[in-house]
Amino acid sequence: MSVRRKGRFVGRFILALAAFSAVFPFLWTALNAFKNRVDIVTPTPLFFFTPTLDNFAYVLGRGSVFQGLTNSLVISGSAVAIGAILGLPAAYALARYPGKWAKDIQFFVLSLRFLPPVAVAIPLMVIWLELGLYDTRLSMIVTYTLLTLATVIWLSVPAFQRVPREVEEAARVDGYGPYAIFFRIALPIASRSLIGAIAFSFVLVWNEFLIALMLTTSDAKTLPIVASELTQLGRDVPWGILNASVVLLSIPPLLLIGILSGMLNSAFRRKN
Amino acid sequence: MKSVTALLSGAALVCLVSGAMPLAASAAECSGTIKVLAQPRDGLTLLDKYRDEFAKLSGGANFQIDYLNENDRRAKTKADASTIGRYNVYYIDEANVALFASSGWVAPLLDYYPKDYDYNDFDPGRRAVATYDGKVWFAPLTGGGDLMVYRKDLLEAAGIQPPRTLDDYIAAVKKLNQPDKGIYGTALRGQRGSGANVWRWMPFFKGFGGQWFDGNTPVFDSDAAVKATETYLELFKYSAPGTQTGSWDEAVGAFTSGQVAMLTESTPLVGMALDPKQSQVSDKIGYLPPPSPLTGGGYGHGLAIGTKANKDEVSKQCAGLFIAWATSKENEQRRLEEHQFSELNRSSVFASKKFAELYGPDLGQALADTGKVTAVNFWQSPLWPELGDRWGIILEELVTGTRTDIKGGLDELNDFAKQLVARGQ
Amino acid sequence: MKHKSTLPAVFLSPALLILAVLALVPTVFAVFISFQDRELSRPDGRFVGLDNYLALFSDRRFVNAIGVSLTWEVLTVGLTLLVALLIGILMFEYAGPRWRSALSLMFLTPVILPRVSAAFVWKFAFHPLYGIITWPYKAITGQPLDLLSDPATALGTVALVDIWQWGLFFAVIVLKLLETLPPQPFEAARLDHARTWQVYAYVAIPMLKAPLISLAFVKMVESLRAFDLIYVMTRGGPGITTETLDMYAFSQGFIESGRISYASGMAVLMMIATSIVFTVIWKRTRA
Repeated sequence: MSVRRKGRFVGRFILALAAFSAVFPFLWTALNAFKNRVDIVTPTPLFFFTPTLDNFAYVLGRGSVFQGLTNSLVISGSAVAIGAILGLPAAYALARYPGKWAKDIQFFVLSLRFLPPVAVAIPLMVIWLELGLYDTRLSMIVTYTLLTLATVIWLSVPAFQRVPREVEEAARVDGYGPYAIFFRIALPIASRSLIGAIAFSFVLVWNEFLIALMLTTSDAKTLPIVASELTQLGRDVPWGILNASVVLLSIPPLLLIGILSGMLNSAFRRKN
Repeated sequence: MKSVTALLSGAALVCLVSGAMPLAASAAECSGTIKVLAQPRDGLTLLDKYRDEFAKLSGGANFQIDYLNENDRRAKTKADASTIGRYNVYYIDEANVALFASSGWVAPLLDYYPKDYDYNDFDPGRRAVATYDGKVWFAPLTGGGDLMVYRKDLLEAAGIQPPRTLDDYIAAVKKLNQPDKGIYGTALRGQRGSGANVWRWMPFFKGFGGQWFDGNTPVFDSDAAVKATETYLELFKYSAPGTQTGSWDEAVGAFTSGQVAMLTESTPLVGMALDPKQSQVSDKIGYLPPPSPLTGGGYGHGLAIGTKANKDEVSKQCAGLFIAWATSKENEQRRLEEHQFSELNRSSVFASKKFAELYGPDLGQALADTGKVTAVNFWQSPLWPELGDRWGIILEELVTGTRTDIKGGLDELNDFAKQLVARGQ
Repeated sequence: MKHKSTLPAVFLSPALLILAVLALVPTVFAVFISFQDRELSRPDGRFVGLDNYLALFSDRRFVNAIGVSLTWEVLTVGLTLLVALLIGILMFEYAGPRWRSALSLMFLTPVILPRVSAAFVWKFAFHPLYGIITWPYKAITGQPLDLLSDPATALGTVALVDIWQWGLFFAVIVLKLLETLPPQPFEAARLDHARTWQVYAYVAIPMLKAPLISLAFVKMVESLRAFDLIYVMTRGGPGITTETLDMYAFSQGFIESGRISYASGMAVLMMIATSIVFTVIWKRTRA
C-alpha cells in the first residue's frame, strides 16, 4: 500500500503546485502594484515592503486610462447587449424548432470562430476607413457584435435544450402562445446558464486585443490597448504603474469568475 | 473627462477668458485638448506641472500626451497619420521626417511657430536634421551624435589608454571583458529596428566607406557592409546579457549599473552616466569622440504639426503654439534645473552658466569635438524606415544566431530594396 | 402544427442577417483587396491579379511564419491536453469534493485573465534581472537567464503561458467529464487488480474519447489566437523565430509597411486553410 500512499503524496503535491502556479503569478503582480519602483527592481524578490497607492493613483489619474476604461465599458457593454437581445431568441429558435437547416445554421455560427481575427481585422480596417468610421466606438461595437452574437447563440442553444419540454408543453396547454412561452417560461428557467453565456461573451470582448489594436488609434482605444501601451513604454520602465494597470484591466473578468464556473457546472451536470 | 472638457469649452467663452490675460499671445484663441503622440521623455513629463501656464498662454487649451516606446511610437505615428490622423502633434525624428513631410502628414513648422520663441536658437545640428526639402518640420526635443564612454577605473586597472582607433577599441573591449567578475567589454543594440540595432551598426558601415544608394540603385551590398557586420558581430561576443534583443535602454542600463567597461552610444548617455541619481558609476567615467573611422550617428527628435487633425489654420496655430511653448527657453531651463541633460537643445542653454556649473567645460568640448565626426548615416528617403526595419530583422537574426550567412542576408536586403524602390514609384 | 409559428423566422432572421453581413462583407472585401496593390497611405490601388499570392510564396518570412504557426498549434494543443488530462485525473483521484471546487475556481483564473495581462505577468516573471522565475537560477549560478531572447527557448516560453491558461481550464473540464462517468467500470477494473494509471488509460480515457476530441478541436481553433501573447512578449523576435502568421500579417498590413493588400492575401490564405481544415475535422468527428 505504500506505493499507493506515495502516489497520493506525489499527486497532491503536483496539484498544489498547479494551484500555486495558477494563482501566484497574478497575486505577485497585484503585490507589485503596491510597491515603489525601488522595491520591485531588486536583485532578490521582496515580500515585505511599505505599500503605496501611488501606482493606482497615477494609473486612474491618467486621461488615457480613464478614456480606455470608458471605451471598454461602452463598447463591450453595447456589443454584449446587442448580442444578447438578438442572440437569445435566435438560440431558442434553433433549440426548439430544429428544422432541417438548424444544424447548418449552428455550424455557420460556429465556423465564424474559425476565421483568424487578423483576417477579419484587415478588411474591416479598410471598410471603416472608407466609411469614415475608423477609430470610433460605433465601428468597434458593430465589429464586436460579430463576436458576441455568435458566442451567445452558440452557448445558449444547449441551455435552452436543457429546459424540460414538459414544462413548455404544460404552458401551451394553459394557453400560452409560442412567444409567451419563450419570455415567461424558457427564459426564466434557463436564466442561470444564459447569464453564464452572456458573461462569457463579455469576457471575450473585454479581453479582445488584435482587432482593437488594428481598428483604433486614439479615440476608441480600449483598455487592453492602453494597458499594453503602458507595458511597452521601455524607457525607465515604471514597473509599479505597469503592474497596477494590469491589475485594473483584469478586475472585471475576475469578478465574473463565479458566474462562469456556475455555467461550467450546469453544462456538465445533466449528462449521465 | 477630456471629452467633457472639450465639449464644455465653447470658443466664445474661451475668448472672454483670454481677453483678460494681457500676457497671452495675440493668436491665443485655442480651446479643447491638443492630442500629442510621443515617446516618453523626461522633458515632456515635466510639462505636466505647468499645464496652467499653457492654459493661460493659449487661452484655455489643454494637452494630452500619449506615450509609446521608440519602435512603437514610429509605427503608431505612421499608422495614425496615414489613416485617420487623430493627433494634433506628432513626435517625429530624423529617420522619418522625410516620410512625414513628403506624404503631407505634417505641416511646415515655421509657418505656425511664433517668432518670439526664436527657432534659430536651437543647436545647428538639430536644426539640420529637422530640415527636409528646404523646410523645417519639427522643433527638437533631443538629439546629438555619438560619444565613446568608458570606465576610467577599469581601463587604468588594465593598463589601457582610452582608444582612439577602432582596432585599439576592439582590442580593449576584448581585454576588459570579464564576465566572471560581472563586467562585460561593451554593450551594443541587438533589437530590430532602423533606430535600434541598425542605428548602432551604421557607424561601422559608413566608417568603412559604405553607401546606401546611388540614385535609385541600391549599392549597399558591398564589402564595407560585410566587414561592418562582421565587426559588429565580433564585438557582440563581449556585449552585456540582455542586449542581444535590447536597445538603448538595455545598453544604458547595463552601463549605468556598472556592468560594462566601454561603449559608443548616443550623446545623452554621458549626461545620464554623470548623474548620480541615475548612475552607479557617475564618478568613474570618461568620454571621447567615437574611435576612428566610426562616424557619429547624427540624430534629432522633436514635435511636428499634424495636418489631418488640425483641419483649419487656427488649430494648426494652436498646435504650433504648443510646440513652441514645449520647446521654449523657459522649459529648457526647467529641464536643466532637473538635470535632464538629454532634453537640452538650445545654444543659449548650452552656453549658460548653469550648464557649465553642472557638467563642466569638458563635456562642452567633447560635444563640440564629436560634432566634427557626426554624419547622416542613414538613407535620406521616405522609404528609409521600411528598408532600415527590414535590415534590422536580418541583423537581429545574425546577432541571436538564427542566421549565420552575412552575405546572404545582404543579398536578401538588396532584393527587398529593389522591390521597395519599384513599389514606391 | 407548432412548426407553423412565426417564431423561428422572427427570432432567427435579424441575428442571422447581421451575422451574415458582418462575416461575409469583410471576407469578400479581403479577397477583393488581395488582388490589388493598396497601401494604407495609398488607398487607391490598382488590380494586380495574383501578384500578391505569387510574391507570398517566395517570401521567406511568410514561409517561416507558416512553420512557426504550425509548431505553435502542435505544441499548444498537445501540451494543453496533456496537462489537462494529468491535472484533471489527479483532481479526480486525490481531491475531495471541497478541494475539487476550490481547485476548479483557482484553475479558472488564468483563462479569464485578459491575454494582455497574462502575457505581461509572465513576461515580467521571466525578466532576466527582476523576474521571480529567473531569480532562483540567477541566485544559484550568478548568470542571468533570458529565455525570451534566446531563439531556442522563446517560442516555448510563450507557449507555456498559453498552456498555463488553457491546460488548467481544460483540467477542470476533464474533471467534470470524469464525474459524469458511471462508477461501475472503474470498480470492475479495480477488482481485476488494474493499476491506477491502467484504469484511466484503458477505461476512462477511451470512454471520454468523443468529448476529448471536441476539446482538442476547441483548442485548435483557440490556438489561432496566439497574437496577444506574442505581441506583448516577443513581437515575433528574436529575429523571426516567434513570428506567427497573424503576427506577420499584422506587421505587414499595419505596423511595418501598411501593405494591406499583401497582408490581405495572407489573411485570405489563412482563412481558406482554417475553414477547410476545421470543417473537415468537425464533420469527421461528428460523423
